[in-house]
Amino acid sequence: MASVILRSRVLTPKYLKQCCAGISTSVSRYSDDVEVAVKQREAPLIRKELALLNSAELEQKRQHEEGTITVDRPSNVSVITGVPEEHIKSRRVRIFMPAKNAMQSGTDNTGQWEMEFETRERWENPLMGWSSTGDPLSNMQLQFSTKEDAIAFCEKNSWPWFVQEEPPKKEAKPKSYGVNFSWNKRTRVSTK
Amino acid sequence: MLRITAQKSLAGAKVSPKHLFPIFSRSSTDVAKKPEKIEVFIDDKPVLVEPGTTVLQAAALVGVEIPRFCYHERLAVAGNCRMCLVEVEKSPKPVAACAMPVMKGWRIKTDSEMTRKAREGVMEFLLVNHPLDCPICDQGGECDLQDQSMAFGSDRSRFTDIDFSGKRAVEDKDIGPLIKTIMTRCIHCTRCIRFASEVAGIDDLGTTGRGSDMQVGTYVEKFFLSELSGNVIDLCPVGALTSKPYSFTARPWETRKTDSIDVLDAVGSNIVVCTRTGDVLRILPRINEDINEEWLSDKSRFAYDGLKRQRLVTPMLRDACGELKPVDWEAALLGVGKVLKAAGGNITAVAGGLADAEALVALKDLVNKLGSEAVCIENSFPLDGSGTDLRSSYLLNNKIAPAEEADLVLLIGTNPRLEAPLLNSRIRKGYVHNETEIAVIGPKIDLRYDYIHLGEDPSIIRQIENGQHAFVKKLKSAKKPLVILGSDTLSRSDGAAILSSVQSLSRGLQDEMCDPEWKVLNILHKVANQVAALDIGYTPDLSKICESSPKVLYLLGADDCGITRADLPDGCFIVYQGHHGDQGASIADAVLPGIAYTEKQATYVNTEGRAQQTLVAVTPPGLAREDWKIIRALSEIVGAKLPYDSLEEIRYRLEEVAPHLTRYGCAEAANYFCEALELGKKTNAPIDTSPLDVKQKTLEDFYMTDVISRASPTMAKCVAAVQKQNLSKY
Amino acid sequence: MPKDKLANVITTYITILDSFSVNFPNTFDREIENVKMASVLVRFSYLTKNQLGLLAPLANSAQVCCYSTPPGTPPPQTKTKFGPLCDEDRIFTNLYGRHDWRLKGALKRGDWYKTKEILCKGADWIINEIKVSGLRGRGGAGFPSGMKWSFMNKPSDGRPKYLVVNADEGEPGTCKDREIMRHDPHKLVEGCLIAGKAMGAKAAYIYIRGEFYNEASNMQIAIAEAYQAGLLGKNACNSGYDFDVFMHRGAGAYICGEETALIESIEGKQGKPRLKPPFPADVGVFGCPTTVTNVETVAVAPSICRRGGAWFASFGRTRNSGTKLFNISGHVNTPCTVEEEMSIPLKELIELHAGGVTGGWDNLLAVIPGGSSTPLIPKSVCDDVLMDFDGLVAAQTSLGTAAVIVMNKQTDVVKAIARLIMFYKHESCGQCTPCREGISWMNKIIYRFVDGNARPDEIDMLWELSKQIEGHTICALGDGAAWPVQGLIRHFRPELEDRMKKFHEQQKGQHAARN
Repeated sequence: MASVILRSRVLTPKYLKQCCAGISTSVSRYSDDVEVAVKQREAPLIRKELALLNSAELEQKRQHEEGTITVDRPSNVSVITGVPEEHIKSRRVRIFMPAKNAMQSGTDNTGQWEMEFETRERWENPLMGWSSTGDPLSNMQLQFSTKEDAIAFCEKNSWPWFVQEEPPKKEAKPKSYGVNFSWNKRTRVSTK
Repeated sequence: MLRITAQKSLAGAKVSPKHLFPIFSRSSTDVAKKPEKIEVFIDDKPVLVEPGTTVLQAAALVGVEIPRFCYHERLAVAGNCRMCLVEVEKSPKPVAACAMPVMKGWRIKTDSEMTRKAREGVMEFLLVNHPLDCPICDQGGECDLQDQSMAFGSDRSRFTDIDFSGKRAVEDKDIGPLIKTIMTRCIHCTRCIRFASEVAGIDDLGTTGRGSDMQVGTYVEKFFLSELSGNVIDLCPVGALTSKPYSFTARPWETRKTDSIDVLDAVGSNIVVCTRTGDVLRILPRINEDINEEWLSDKSRFAYDGLKRQRLVTPMLRDACGELKPVDWEAALLGVGKVLKAAGGNITAVAGGLADAEALVALKDLVNKLGSEAVCIENSFPLDGSGTDLRSSYLLNNKIAPAEEADLVLLIGTNPRLEAPLLNSRIRKGYVHNETEIAVIGPKIDLRYDYIHLGEDPSIIRQIENGQHAFVKKLKSAKKPLVILGSDTLSRSDGAAILSSVQSLSRGLQDEMCDPEWKVLNILHKVANQVAALDIGYTPDLSKICESSPKVLYLLGADDCGITRADLPDGCFIVYQGHHGDQGASIADAVLPGIAYTEKQATYVNTEGRAQQTLVAVTPPGLAREDWKIIRALSEIVGAKLPYDSLEEIRYRLEEVAPHLTRYGCAEAANYFCEALELGKKTNAPIDTSPLDVKQKTLEDFYMTDVISRASPTMAKCVAAVQKQNLSKY
Repeated sequence: MPKDKLANVITTYITILDSFSVNFPNTFDREIENVKMASVLVRFSYLTKNQLGLLAPLANSAQVCCYSTPPGTPPPQTKTKFGPLCDEDRIFTNLYGRHDWRLKGALKRGDWYKTKEILCKGADWIINEIKVSGLRGRGGAGFPSGMKWSFMNKPSDGRPKYLVVNADEGEPGTCKDREIMRHDPHKLVEGCLIAGKAMGAKAAYIYIRGEFYNEASNMQIAIAEAYQAGLLGKNACNSGYDFDVFMHRGAGAYICGEETALIESIEGKQGKPRLKPPFPADVGVFGCPTTVTNVETVAVAPSICRRGGAWFASFGRTRNSGTKLFNISGHVNTPCTVEEEMSIPLKELIELHAGGVTGGWDNLLAVIPGGSSTPLIPKSVCDDVLMDFDGLVAAQTSLGTAAVIVMNKQTDVVKAIARLIMFYKHESCGQCTPCREGISWMNKIIYRFVDGNARPDEIDMLWELSKQIEGHTICALGDGAAWPVQGLIRHFRPELEDRMKKFHEQQKGQHAARN
């Protein structure tokens, strides 16, 4: 089941054309477009096994030949992941873009989306002084290239989520070293 | 600045400001022309930049990060660390990328042999006198020097002189209770000096001595006291300036970082709460260009140790002897519920400034269900005219970020430096970079920039309104004027008259504005969630409510309202729900422990009307519970069950009341300026002659203003430091 | 000398120029000019060794091929013998203070003669004369003065322009400007007026070294005299040109002799150099266009204008023309400051004016030819090197301020250079990393070299360190500190290695004795 490829694409005529192209045995001869066909000096190819099918049947045929099944809504894997129900229903996922560390000027580890669960109780382990928690999900750090991916992942796992939008970016103004010494502006440096 | 001249000369023509910028010393006529973008090549990648862009900025555009120590995008260019040296084709010497403007067709090589050699050389020199105490350095793990020496430095040391004369050692300096200095680690990037002088407006830091004897410090022995001083800790690329309260507490990789919102002033700065084992260890700013840029005020940064002291950790009821005794939740809720039921609707609720929107709406719903309309906030605002019905009368309408673009700011009865330090830093930014003029009506205070003091007499406002004052001319000629009215002024008995006057004078200026997005009228609040409380429908008529002799007074984190037993009728039952044992709890008959902002996911609306949410960083101490949940539980006992059980549900309720409260990150603009003005005009009350005053005048008044900061030992030390400094001859 | 090869080198030099103008097109035309020219200067020191080797025979070459560019084109090289200068060609006729230095004496010596006429001929004429004269800055870098002054003649944007005279003569070994200011101050005052007129300056600031008490006092008197005589101030010399001259005394920092640090110092801030760009011609003192020039450069300007640029250009080799004050100090019999023709052979200069090297020419060890920041040259080079910009560049050193420091064979050359590095360490402003950290490290190392307490591979390390400083700093102080070390290692490496060997042998001996 895990190997099933899930697709839920809207079937456009163009897409259909492409899939017919896949079915065609002779791509060079294929065209159901009259104009193209005229250029090819050949009548449009009509595959008899497809010609009489209605659109639903055509789609089924296509899927059959591609070996995939289309599910029209995202699947839910939470029932089979083994995550305790408590950690599915009562958790809240935040999807966010990590902020730059104010202590440093580097910008590594920023610019991608991450998800994290809400903080649950943590305590100091009395034996070693280490930090302990009873929350198995607290250290789950996942990175995504888009927030849509992150949302899709949460949906798949049935976690309630919310997106913390990234704060606005400001366009940088050109910096000028000369203004430090300008004669009539307050940018003039007084201390050094 | 040139930009303003250009804009003036264009007389309001819509020109994107990004095309108007100062190139060093070009005459203003040149600037008015839209400069053409020029093409340069960074590692053979072409990029189009505006003329005047530095090599470093151009490189950043194509995602090439040039290492730097002294350069900081929010500070002036210094060009002294030499770490950013890069090769430019056909130039014999490497150039300092942070200061060198690009020229057309330049081919910049950020990873060539010459560049790498230059970086390695500079890195070696920086490390020559830098102590190898990374294992005990608080900066370790988030140190630019560490990281960059890994990336760009040599893999071995050839500092043979360690066997002979060793490294330089520099005496540490005592610059106050917040910043710990280990000056031996200093690499003399002068970021702290530039921050102090440009952003904080305090020229206390500087260098003395020269060559290898150069030291960064205060010239004389004195504290570096500023409401923004903590930011130099972040700015310092090494461990020379570190946080004193946080010293030797944790390594950065041990802490968990939770994004949150600061609630100790009305700005709503974005913060990161660093925690370990259920303790808040430190608070750092988080970049938000619309609010706090990347700065944070000292109170917001250092008052977190107040979260561990004076906390209410268990419900309490006053027993027969008149003493508060700890009880369990059931007993407390039953006790309070009984009293509430018996009150028969004669209930008054007062909400403090730290109460979150969820608790506010739950409490209002409960009180309303019990048959009372008396929900109010601690501060009083005028109720005449439109009162608090129209948001334009209580919002910082023009938002925080555009304050730096204003060319004239009129401050009325407010001290933004202490009430909203980050708004003040914006005004100062405008003052420095935009030649903003500032005028003040109110007491003479130190704002760290020059201003025209118009006087303390509130009648000046009316004179300006009527056009009789000399200052009117200046106001009228301003292209982007800003009037900021302090909330202290609105609490006056003549608050309504002053508000109406300010509304009318702002309207006059607004009508002449070409930019409809620019709002002249602005109100500055002092406490975090004032706007949310007013949005939800809390009224600012505390004194009237006391006169109505309630049977139950429900204080939701209200500690600063100044109500005493004597103000209330005999037998009035006081319930205090909050997180700190302060004034409110001391007069209460029942105490219900709520939780602080680091412990809940809650909604706060800042002074510009921007809804933001805090996140849970640590779990509440003891039996303390989330405030809205306490009220929800209470409602069930009273028999007026509130219809929400989860955070999502109560947020639906919030959305019902005011949809913008759950639009996180967005500032909902106010409307109905004209209507507010018309309603205000009806009051027609005279303005008092008593001079305008602000509560926070000097830095001493800044540190301890709410329950959290009053419980904070660090803040107490700051107050002591200011007092000590006042006695010093420097 | 293969002429075509030499031509080749010079063409390279021109190509570099051209390539720069290609690389910096007209966006910031004025600044670019500046960049271009400044870089050319740098170029000389960046020519590869091969090219320098080609330049070396230039010393004896009779003729240098000429290329045609109109203004201030140097005449083709025809002269073969340079120096001694005859008395009537001397500009500084009261260098030794034997005559009255005040206005009266100065007038007698021809100062302030027809200054009005010179001023009335206009800025372009003056600049042209300076260009024709081929005068190059006398402060060390040798930038063509005519060109530098012409940078100031761009259309005004409302800001006043200033002339700043760099009288912060702090380079060890250099003592030329102080003689001018002490004994011939009116030359400088008049020079300020003429140079000021040439660049349309509103005022001149003379930034004088703090230690120069008598010089400052004489200068101040001279300025006062000039004001009283109507030579300065409103309608200076009745020419209709308003011009003021101010004195500003420094506080004794060597770095304040760097032009941008000097500007900072005048503005009342710590004398820490600025980055370039912006160049002072764009953003200088008080944020206004400024030209900073050396005292000697300004002081010779009136004589050039009076006697004609061609006269001045007739001295010395092409592109190194003029007369120059040479300071000869160190192990010579009669140390002195003397005005001589450019391109005079070093040996002749020392023998003729300084009474020869102590212990005879054969007792010469090395010479630092241009003040402490230039690399030293050993005797073999000193034998036939010509004292001018190109000649010394060919010898891998530089003319600098023409302060010749002579060291004979009794000198501990390592210690001498170490002392210079200590000077630079002390005078580094501490602003930028390579200079602040690098020089103090070099200082530590080289003092160990004095004793020999080091390993031979540390010599290479020191060389690399000096290369790591050179060219990576904000101003030229880093370069100035790196070059003496490089000179030492280049010419005296065996000496360094010998000391180390001796030291370690001695240590071993002591160690053995103890056991």
